[in-house]
Amino acid sequence: MSLLELKNVSYTYGAGTPFEITAIKNINLTIEKGSFVGIIGHTGSGKSTLVQHFNALLKPTEGQVLLNGEDINRSKHSAHEARFKVGLCFQYPEYQLFETTVYKDIAFGPTNMGLSEEEIKARVLEAAEFVGLTDELLNKSPFELSGGEKRRAAIAGIIAMRPEVLVLDEPTAGLDPSGRKKILSMICEYREKTDSTVIIVSHSMEDVAAIADKIIVMNKGQVYKYADVHEIFAHSGELASLGLEVPPVTNIFLKLKEMGLNIRTDIYTKDQAEKELLRYLQKEGIAW
Amino acid sequence: MVRDITIGQYFPGNSVLHNADPRLKLVLSFVSIVFVFVCNNFYSLALVLAFTVVAVLSSRISLKVILKGLRPMLLLLIFTSALQLFYNKQGTELFVSRFITITTGGIFTTIFMVVRIICLVLLSSLLTYTTSPTQLTDGIERLLSPLKVFGLKNGVHTLAMMMTIALRFIPTLIDEIDKITNAQKARGANFETGGIVQRAKALLPIFIPLLVNSFRHAFELSLAMSARCYNGGEGRTRMKQLKLAARDYVLMAAEFIFVGGVIALNIIFESVI
Repeated sequence: MSLLELKNVSYTYGAGTPFEITAIKNINLTIEKGSFVGIIGHTGSGKSTLVQHFNALLKPTEGQVLLNGEDINRSKHSAHEARFKVGLCFQYPEYQLFETTVYKDIAFGPTNMGLSEEEIKARVLEAAEFVGLTDELLNKSPFELSGGEKRRAAIAGIIAMRPEVLVLDEPTAGLDPSGRKKILSMICEYREKTDSTVIIVSHSMEDVAAIADKIIVMNKGQVYKYADVHEIFAHSGELASLGLEVPPVTNIFLKLKEMGLNIRTDIYTKDQAEKELLRYLQKEGIAW
Repeated sequence: MVRDITIGQYFPGNSVLHNADPRLKLVLSFVSIVFVFVCNNFYSLALVLAFTVVAVLSSRISLKVILKGLRPMLLLLIFTSALQLFYNKQGTELFVSRFITITTGGIFTTIFMVVRIICLVLLSSLLTYTTSPTQLTDGIERLLSPLKVFGLKNGVHTLAMMMTIALRFIPTLIDEIDKITNAQKARGANFETGGIVQRAKALLPIFIPLLVNSFRHAFELSLAMSARCYNGGEGRTRMKQLKLAARDYVLMAAEFIFVGGVIALNIIFESVI
């Protein structure tokens, strides 16, 4: 069932001024309920502008955004409601923490929803558990946490609203490899446990390819391709030509192909790589 | 909404005013503004207006921008003119009724005030429109450099550096306000409804992160500056030396004519205000 649908959506910054820039053009998309979608694209390809339409932070200059079949921009109230149904976590969310304790900061969203005290508590504790924040940390000031902990606290602030769709804009930006892994596995776990729809925006495919099941490739403000991950990688050469960072393992296979080997290039995980290499070696009769 | 403010903004260009020495521009706009208030009859007021128009035209900044800069003044102008018009009791009475009396004094003061405020805003915004923040602080630093005599050795430079940094960070902070506002809106923050107290409270989630981030920027910047061995103004040379060119003398001459004209017209014709 389609959960989120964009119909001919275009957005122009500073319309009517000399600084007019069309950020996204004529976007048509359907996000299925329960799917895990990655949005990738070069800097300035319109990814961030696109996701801000999902929760009515930006109103399309042209076109419609439908959530569960209803236009979210039909009234001020519906736009406000959409913020809770589509939880959007911005880039570097740790710079938006403001409360005196981590607990209160996570509770900010649920409080704005007008929930009861008990309900808020249940949600905060649940969200904190998802992101792996201990009770002890909940009573600290958010400014005392480490960088990775702050990031997780900020994401918990969105999860606590129990959104139908969780949208994360570059959730791993600026983190070290172990921090990245932690965040990504946390997102996977969250999705398995809640069956919710998750959308991840990233400029690096490596993060997204391993966990998402569908990928939207953005280029120059338009949807270049929207398909299952394996289908996207069937054209991995094209992605590289768009200036996108393909995963290192895909790069190796692209290079091998370039060297004249008759080998597949739609490889994006280590397991696939192993299988394909073994297949190739066997076929060529090289003993292993 | 924050982006609509044009006062203090710089619009790059290549006009007589853009290329003039910033020190000269500072002095000339100060003198011009003083003379906006010196004029006391309609002839000198007309000269002031003409001078301002010529200055605006010679900046080659689009009139759209100029008018947009004036728009915030509209309310103030209407409000003060109404007050002057109805409550000024000087001069001969023109219209008398039970509630309002309109006098020639009221009308004259209103005209003078409107023209003066508009010229004041235009002349002072022209300075920032045509001068980049770095040039501006450079100019201020050089103009204030005589203060070094009074034992303010590093003070003038420090002040100028502080101003440069402050101006440099305005766009950064505006950007940040935008981002934080959106992030809090995404969590359902509501800035549009409720009473004054509630609205002020709703701004806390924006101001606290903004303050924290400003400190972060400040620490990072100070680290970057000391990493490049910055240690104040002493012995510091500059990349661009300010030197008055021929075109600056032309501007200066124009200003002298303007000042002389206002004084002469003030003497020749009777003061009306």
